[in-house]
Amino acid sequence: MHIQPILAALRRHKAGTVLIALQIALTLAIVCNALFIINQRLAHIDEPSGVDEANLFVIANQWGEQYSTQEAVERIEQDLVTLRQLPGVQDVTSSNNYPIRGISNDNFITMTPDQRAPTSDAAYYMGDANFVRTLGLKLIAGRDFRPEEVQNQGLRQTVDPSVAIISKAMATKLFPNSDALGKHFYAMTPNPITVIGIVDVLHRGDVSTWSAPYIGESMIVPVRPADPYGIYYIVRTKPGQLAAAMRAAPKALYAENRMRMIDPKDGLLSFAQVRHRAFESDRGMAILMSIICIVLLAITAAGIIGLTSFWVGQRRRQIGVRRALGATHRDIMQYFMTENLLISLGGLAIGVVLAFGLNLWLHIHLELKVLPLTYVLGGTVILLLLGQGAVFAPALRASRVPPIEATRPA
Amino acid sequence: MLKMTHLSKVYRTEVVETYALRDFNINVKEGEFVAVTGPSGSGKTTFLTIAGLLETFTGGEYHLDGVEVSNLDDNARSKIRNEKIGFIFQAFNLIPDLNVFDNVEVPLRYRGMKGPERKERIMSALERVGLASRAKHYPAELSGGQQQRVAIARALAGTPRLLLADEPTGNLDTQMARGVLELLEEIHREGATIVMVTHDPELAARAQRNVHIIDGQVVDLAEDPRFHTAYTAAAGQVRS
Repeated sequence: MHIQPILAALRRHKAGTVLIALQIALTLAIVCNALFIINQRLAHIDEPSGVDEANLFVIANQWGEQYSTQEAVERIEQDLVTLRQLPGVQDVTSSNNYPIRGISNDNFITMTPDQRAPTSDAAYYMGDANFVRTLGLKLIAGRDFRPEEVQNQGLRQTVDPSVAIISKAMATKLFPNSDALGKHFYAMTPNPITVIGIVDVLHRGDVSTWSAPYIGESMIVPVRPADPYGIYYIVRTKPGQLAAAMRAAPKALYAENRMRMIDPKDGLLSFAQVRHRAFESDRGMAILMSIICIVLLAITAAGIIGLTSFWVGQRRRQIGVRRALGATHRDIMQYFMTENLLISLGGLAIGVVLAFGLNLWLHIHLELKVLPLTYVLGGTVILLLLGQGAVFAPALRASRVPPIEATRPA
Repeated sequence: MLKMTHLSKVYRTEVVETYALRDFNINVKEGEFVAVTGPSGSGKTTFLTIAGLLETFTGGEYHLDGVEVSNLDDNARSKIRNEKIGFIFQAFNLIPDLNVFDNVEVPLRYRGMKGPERKERIMSALERVGLASRAKHYPAELSGGQQQRVAIARALAGTPRLLLADEPTGNLDTQMARGVLELLEEIHREGATIVMVTHDPELAARAQRNVHIIDGQVVDLAEDPRFHTAYTAAAGQVRS
């Protein structure tokens, strides 16, 4: 390759060279970080909830009358029986919350009652003896709740559970060096809670980034929320029966008791809908970043095509002279491809520094994780290929300049 | 060295065919210094571009150094241009972005010559034209005569079998033109075959042999009085 004379020629065209190199540098810096953000968002969207999402739906039930705790308990029991009797329904439970709903009920967790800084801020699910089974959670150690362990909790009442089933992530956080089963922890009360079971995965209710340090840290306590104003029913259907059961469930509940409200928009959601809503902003951000990447890459490609086309037009006679002196089509192609490669490499060298600089800024101000080197390498390869692809057509045009061009008047 | 037989070059448009060369015959022997003269539009430059394989021809035969070139593909023609032909253009045709050294190096790079040999040849060629001290200068920093000397060095560096010069002094003043011409004569004395297209009868007179082209054909002015008047008039116009 004729690098030295190409570099010498580029030194005589500083403005165009520097502009394209800077454009490539900026594009690399932005595209690397954008791809990293996209990947993080996609990973977030794909976070496992731990539940049998394909066969679950949720009903947000609001009562139309003010019930006492006992009345609410009775109503809930009756609703669970009604739902359980629907065709295609496998199991039903009630809870204060459900995974990836978008909002968590959470409790600071300490290892001693007087510990100041909490060890965890765990998502706090109330569930009966059907909770684990209905959600399809995978119990990997210990046991499920027994019916006699379940307590009712009415409005403004506090119950103090003595046992809990916790997620593996929480078990690892609380007891990193030993088996969590049978061990105790505290959830903002002076009474210890004993770990009786561990489930493999149980996502928190929220999906926001603030809880990233506590990702997957969740606990279930044997409590049935008997809130007179509302509750969530979580229904698990047999495979393929979800849609039919979802249609039948509100009708059956209204038939059983009309003094309730199930919001037609948000009150009845399949878990697919729950997931879709929960990660809407992540999806939006991923799409926005993708568009930014595509637009930037397109602008850079257009810049390279524009400048190379301009240079080909400007150097038409010079190309003719080179052809007259023995350059083949391939030599001319190679000249422009190499020229672009050298500009790109210069731009990419600056771009690598800018990429890490931008990431540092995002890390400090927006808590973005540290950019892995693979993204920079990937971005470098993408931009090199883009540059070579963009320069191909003008270079091909240049290679077709005939040697007779050398004799044409300037 | 250079033999064209019944060669023709036709430029066609949708409505008209124009013969730039018609039944064109020429035979330049190795070591000859031939001046090709003729009025404007006679076909001198077309002859030179075809001779230099810068352009294809329509009919006839052209043997260059014993090779029939009409059926050669573009790569083979590029290779012959690079290895056997040296060009000297009226407008010098140096590459403005490259310094003198790099300009002379261009054909040698396309030949795939190794660095040390290239450098030796370049410096030798530049010394030959008296510009070794200007190797790092750019064309814009040189006079017209110096630029043409660089172009000659570029042509010589590749030790071509045939040197084609198109009005090599056309853009130079008298003193510079004389210098360039003396250089060409010196190169010829050393054995090079030179074909030079020129308007200038005085310049043509310095060549070993003159070939006159009128209306795309080689004519012998002495034996064909039909063209005598036209030639004299054309020569007179150039002088004035």
